[in-house]
Amino acid sequence: MKRTTIAICVLAAGFAANAADMEAGKKKAAEICAACHGPDGNSATADFPRIAGQHPDYLAKALRDYKTGARKDPVMSGFAAPLTRQDIENLTAYFSAQPGLKHKY
Amino acid sequence: MNRKCTLLLAVLAAAFAVSASAAEGGDAQAGQSKAAMCQGCHGIDGYRMAYPEVYRVPRLGGQHPAYLVKALQAYKGGARSNATMRAIAAHLSDKDMADLAAYYGTASTVTATAK
Repeated sequence: MKRTTIAICVLAAGFAANAADMEAGKKKAAEICAACHGPDGNSATADFPRIAGQHPDYLAKALRDYKTGARKDPVMSGFAAPLTRQDIENLTAYFSAQPGLKHKY
Repeated sequence: MNRKCTLLLAVLAAAFAVSASAAEGGDAQAGQSKAAMCQGCHGIDGYRMAYPEVYRVPRLGGQHPAYLVKALQAYKGGARSNATMRAIAAHLSDKDMADLAAYYGTASTVTATAK
């Protein structure tokens, strides 16, 4: 029983560590993303994609691909390079929660 | 003088209207009829790519049309690599891309029967 409790605590701690921090995401977004994508991810011009309301896992994949060079863009590779896994988690949670893109059939 | 001014303004306005529609480029109605090949993935909210990575395909509704065209061109030309998107974009003409972008660029569906 005690072992189960410990196991649950460990699992909960692991989950908490991975959980996205929306406030941190918002702050980081204001610092590095907002100039092009807009403060909430609704970019003002077509030069930059709208990312508000996009699926977080799609945004995370894009950032990872920019980091590894699988996707090439001189601007985005520079911004993505220093992002940690937690940064990506926070940023994508923030932008995906903003009203913007919609699923369209 | 006044008449000349009016004429000049009209010409300018017409030129602007033409360039604005050229920038938008596409015909959303035509795009809707060409979207069948997109809907198998992008038409299902939350649809996941399963290989080589698992992630949801992007939402397109409301994206800037010019950005969508840029993405399709990048897939077609190979600057962006995704096997499925490359195969699909390879067969799209510039007009097809513009029409599809116009369709997806508006967040709401074009006709009530689109569902």
